[in-house]
Amino acid sequence: MDKLPIKMKAVDLNAWFSGKQALSKINMDVYSNKVTAVIGPSGCGKSTFVRNLNRLHETIPGATVEGAVFLDEENIFKPRYDLVDLRRRVGMVFQKPTPFPTMSIYENAAAGIKLAGRVPRPVVDQAVETALKQAALWNEVKDCLDKPGIGLSGGQQQRLCIARTLAVRPEVILLDEPCSALDPISTGKIEELIHELKKEYAIVIVTHNMQQAARVADFTGFFLLGELVEFDVTGKIFTAPRDKRTEDYVTGRFG
Amino acid sequence: MKRTTEWIIEKLIFISGIGSIVFVALIFFFLLKEGLSLFASVNVFSFLFGVNWYPISEPPQFGILPLILGSLLVTLGAVVIAVPLGIASALYVAEVAPKWLSEILKSGIELLAAIPSIVLGFIGIATLAPFLKNVFNLPSGLTALAGSIMLAFMAMPTIVSIIEDSINSVPRSYREGSLALGATRWQTIYRVILPAASSGILAAIMLGIGRVIGETMAVLMITGNAAILPTSILQPVRTLTATIAAEMGEAVSGSEHYFALFAIGIVLFVISFIINLVADFFMNRNKKRNKKK
Amino acid sequence: MFLVLIMFLSSGCARGNKAIQIKGSDTMVNLAEAWTEKFMEKYPESAVAVTGGGSGGGIASLISGTTDIAKASRDMHHKEILLANRRGVYPLELQVASDGVVVVVNPANPINKLTIKELSDIYTRKVKNWRELGGPDRQIVALSRERNSGTHVFFLETVVKLGQKKNPNEFAADVLMMPSSQAVVEEVISNKSAIGYIGLGYLNNRQKALAVGKDKRGPFFLPNIATVKKGEYPISRSLLFYTNGTPEARVQRFIDFVLSPDGQEIVKTMDFVPIK
Repeated sequence: MDKLPIKMKAVDLNAWFSGKQALSKINMDVYSNKVTAVIGPSGCGKSTFVRNLNRLHETIPGATVEGAVFLDEENIFKPRYDLVDLRRRVGMVFQKPTPFPTMSIYENAAAGIKLAGRVPRPVVDQAVETALKQAALWNEVKDCLDKPGIGLSGGQQQRLCIARTLAVRPEVILLDEPCSALDPISTGKIEELIHELKKEYAIVIVTHNMQQAARVADFTGFFLLGELVEFDVTGKIFTAPRDKRTEDYVTGRFG
Repeated sequence: MKRTTEWIIEKLIFISGIGSIVFVALIFFFLLKEGLSLFASVNVFSFLFGVNWYPISEPPQFGILPLILGSLLVTLGAVVIAVPLGIASALYVAEVAPKWLSEILKSGIELLAAIPSIVLGFIGIATLAPFLKNVFNLPSGLTALAGSIMLAFMAMPTIVSIIEDSINSVPRSYREGSLALGATRWQTIYRVILPAASSGILAAIMLGIGRVIGETMAVLMITGNAAILPTSILQPVRTLTATIAAEMGEAVSGSEHYFALFAIGIVLFVISFIINLVADFFMNRNKKRNKKK
Repeated sequence: MFLVLIMFLSSGCARGNKAIQIKGSDTMVNLAEAWTEKFMEKYPESAVAVTGGGSGGGIASLISGTTDIAKASRDMHHKEILLANRRGVYPLELQVASDGVVVVVNPANPINKLTIKELSDIYTRKVKNWRELGGPDRQIVALSRERNSGTHVFFLETVVKLGQKKNPNEFAADVLMMPSSQAVVEEVISNKSAIGYIGLGYLNNRQKALAVGKDKRGPFFLPNIATVKKGEYPISRSLLFYTNGTPEARVQRFIDFVLSPDGQEIVKTMDFVPIK
């Protein structure tokens, strides 16, 4: 396990919302070309954890953070670290599909690229097509790229958001309960997509669905009350957990 | 028992709903009845497009083109000043300022709305007019521009608070979606938040225009009220509302002059109506565009 | 709902009937209030309500029967009298004081005197620069009162039209129409190029009053109580009360007070000119 290349590493990470501790002393690694699942009951801090990996947590008024997160051995919390660069390298997809309401499908997929500055139209076209293909959405939308993004179905919207993230060519993708608002068929499509994507990216997926974690993740971390209770390869977490609390949770004996 | 209560409540609501419509209709019919009497002796064309407003001369001349243009010029000027300033203030309050400061600013802006327009008018005469006179080297500072600036201030509270509300109602998820893509705060504001809040911004602008075109006292005090065809915003103008306010007291009930002032009322009513219609059109178009599959 | 509205209105009228209503000329508002104050000291059981609205507004109220006294700084027009008669109102005119309309400029303006003709030329914009009148090279900013002001009509007839009824002169369209005497005063204080006219009562030492003469040969008179009373100052006028026929007793008591030595003393303290 230790021989795997580490993409991101949290060291003694603490986080608060208006003085209330949401994460305490988290130490956890994210490996390149692997899917890492973060599971745990609601309010355990799993979303807060991933939102610290791209420093989105601290944009909420009253939110504070302490500790370190390394991306390729550089601490992202060091002073004057370039947040724009960080968020382009560490992309994120949210629980609810959030295509920008006033933009077309094309504009949504191109949004991230256009933020970086002036890019020639053919380059944008190419990037949009590649991203939509990677997100397995191209065939469904290639004829209506100028239609509003929010006109798509929920599953399509979520894949559009994934495409939007992929178009920026990140190194890490954070998925914050990406399927919780979707039907089983759309969920299946996204899970297939995750399998494909891990060939190129390090992926962190937050989920409260243990079957999903078991299906897609190579590693799993179990969070409880802001603490990382146990972190191991997924199979071990689900079949032979070391901690009693993990066992209770994965066997469904938890509230 | 319960049914009776419900019946009564239902009817009461119905009556109040109808009541407000009836009152508007009554006001409009009164306006029409008095205003249209003018056209027995003055033809509509020379009223709307005449360039001389001498209502108490012998014979009187009732040309309101200078007044219409005056109102439009002052309003346009106010909008040009108030809209960018209003959007910027709203953005600052909603997005940039720390919480404690934005609370102070918000109450400050609301306080601006509580100042009676006649007081603003006096402040304008004593400070703004001399200032404009010196800056632009004018014979007098009592100009359309002075009126526009004053009105812009009066429209600001409406514009800022509505825009601020619509910015705040943009879901946090859009903001985070944009930040997560590597957008800076400024890019997030103008690429995502402003477009998402656009219908609210449009509503704010329209309400602001409504406030401005109907405003009377401050305009009466500070625009010079000379009924000339304006060729520049640095000239004095006479607006429709100021004319009604200034002359209604003098006009003998039932005289041509009196009817002419009511006819001006009709013109104002029609202008406001058109503004509302345009606003409605834009907002509906926005909604449809968002719904379209 | 309408019934309630009507009840409100009628009860409002009923209460109003007890107080003596005085409406009209803004020039006379302060004067009328000073009279009212002293009158109510003398007769505490009486009530007098004074409102402005311009001479025309007061006359309109008299015609529609909503005031007991219309105060006016101009004579009623022929048209107004006809309209009144049609409505069964027969106005009775009574002079209660005199007033001089003062032509004021900024103290920095070197001009000290003008003729009626020169003033007329200024307000019809035949003369546009102070240089043409021997002053500095500055565009003249001519200020007038709004059309709801009795002073406006008086100045129009006496100065702009040179006192000739058939004269076609009008205020030029680009003359600035100020909504109140105070607004004229403010602009004259802050603007070296401005010229305006106000009632004698509004004059203070931050503006300069011009001496006015009937023609170039003079004589020129400065406006003050003495010159207005003697009728020497050319832009002076009567301040009037109009009532509907002979007033009832409670109104007559007020009018008697106004014309009494006490009442006329008040006229003097308010910077107008007593008639006796």
